[in-house]
Amino acid sequence: MFKFQKEQEIVNIAGVKIGGQPGELPTVLAGTIFYNKHEIVEDAAKGLFDRVAAEKLINLQETNAEETGNPHIVHIFGTTPESITRYIDFVAEISEAPFLIDSPEGNVRSHAAEYVSEVGLADKAIYNSINLSINASEIEALALSDIDSSIILGFNATDSSLQGRMALLENGVDLLEEGLLSIADRCGIVNKLIDPSITPMGNGAGIALRMTITAKAKWGHPTGSGIHNAPSAWNWLNQKKEKDPILYKICDVGSTCLQQAAAGDFILYGPIEYTPYVFPMAAMSDIMISEAVADLDIEPAARHPVNLLV
Amino acid sequence: MKTIADTWPIVKGDYSVGNVKSRIAVVTLASQINPSPDAAIWGSSKTENLGVEKIIVNTISNSNIRYILVCGTESRGHLAGHSLLAIHANGIDEKGRIIGSKGAIPFIENISKEAVKRFQQQVVLLDKIGMTNPNEIMKIVKKYKDLEEVYPDEPFVATSQKKRRPTFAVPLSGDIIISEEFVMDADTGIIC
Repeated sequence: MFKFQKEQEIVNIAGVKIGGQPGELPTVLAGTIFYNKHEIVEDAAKGLFDRVAAEKLINLQETNAEETGNPHIVHIFGTTPESITRYIDFVAEISEAPFLIDSPEGNVRSHAAEYVSEVGLADKAIYNSINLSINASEIEALALSDIDSSIILGFNATDSSLQGRMALLENGVDLLEEGLLSIADRCGIVNKLIDPSITPMGNGAGIALRMTITAKAKWGHPTGSGIHNAPSAWNWLNQKKEKDPILYKICDVGSTCLQQAAAGDFILYGPIEYTPYVFPMAAMSDIMISEAVADLDIEPAARHPVNLLV
Repeated sequence: MKTIADTWPIVKGDYSVGNVKSRIAVVTLASQINPSPDAAIWGSSKTENLGVEKIIVNTISNSNIRYILVCGTESRGHLAGHSLLAIHANGIDEKGRIIGSKGAIPFIENISKEAVKRFQQQVVLLDKIGMTNPNEIMKIVKKYKDLEEVYPDEPFVATSQKKRRPTFAVPLSGDIIISEEFVMDADTGIIC
């Protein structure tokens, strides 16, 4: 393992600390709820769902976070303004944890940013994400909101190399007039969480691992990803899944360790149902990494798995 | 004339192969619909960039395909179906952006303008976005599976370039190379 010469920023979002040197803070884990085809969702457009089941899932994540020391974030996915509003209300009502607001549609993200500002939840919200698709109206909505935490996504659709992804954040290459980091500044984002973007395997998924190290070395911002998207988009594995679902789960959950070994600070681990497997896996990696940097003058946090579980 | 590239389909994806000499291919967008053996290839596509690229690569490398049925539920935000129709109608600009696409990030990275042109010339797209009834889809497949002649040109192989080429000058200092700018000293474990 290693230590960065560059000072590593630690952000505090609603009490959850993210970032630092490898082995310093426990990896922050975000499970997704209300995702596409999530069985607890009854009407994805209206945002109707099984509240008892949803509460159980969030509580399960909270319990695992408490036990392992890995803090948690609730990753909310919604496809309409109506649904994401209901989801945010519900999550904020039953949990103190910060939450990610995520949608494939810019207008839904903009609505969510406005809504959390109106109801006083902006300090708990993390915008997901500032990316290449951002336009003037979304920038304006985010800038007018009270949100100050966002994921900044390094997905460069015309140059998926390490340099291409870094350049998109730094200067926008020839796709944007300015870099995504600069756009984030204009939107009032203080807590910048870098996500190198997980493209499918065969299209540069692994580049995200090296970019995690490079981005932290260059900017020092907390960095992480939804690395499970690599195995989940792997057709070969999906064919195996029908015969042996455990095989799929091992790869999906196991990918967490790769991102941690590459200095990741946070992980969007996918379906929240995987909580019981992801948290021990991440805790194990955190312990190993913490021990590996023990002589590099890096002190693990009091509630780091190395201080709780071994 | 050779009509199908060796090792077709060239790029991997979420698809099934049927009758490779069929004139029709089926894109089911975000829907999973059981494939028909009467179609040349049949599969989903959820993204407006990599998904579109893969469809083009696997289509133009089989000259038998003259029609693509675009059906199933559109992927929200990404608009993969709309983007496929847009690239067929308008092509790409100098930056690789699909002209006229309203998808979130409608850019092409790995294929040339020539490949896009061949796609435009070789196939007709049948816009049935939203259609999810398997019987209706099968009817269309049956209607088009033998229609038209083979495209009068050999298969066009536009493989995605694997990023295995060096892209930066390797730094001369440091034991472990991370990027052009950063190295790691193995003794101290410091990245600088």
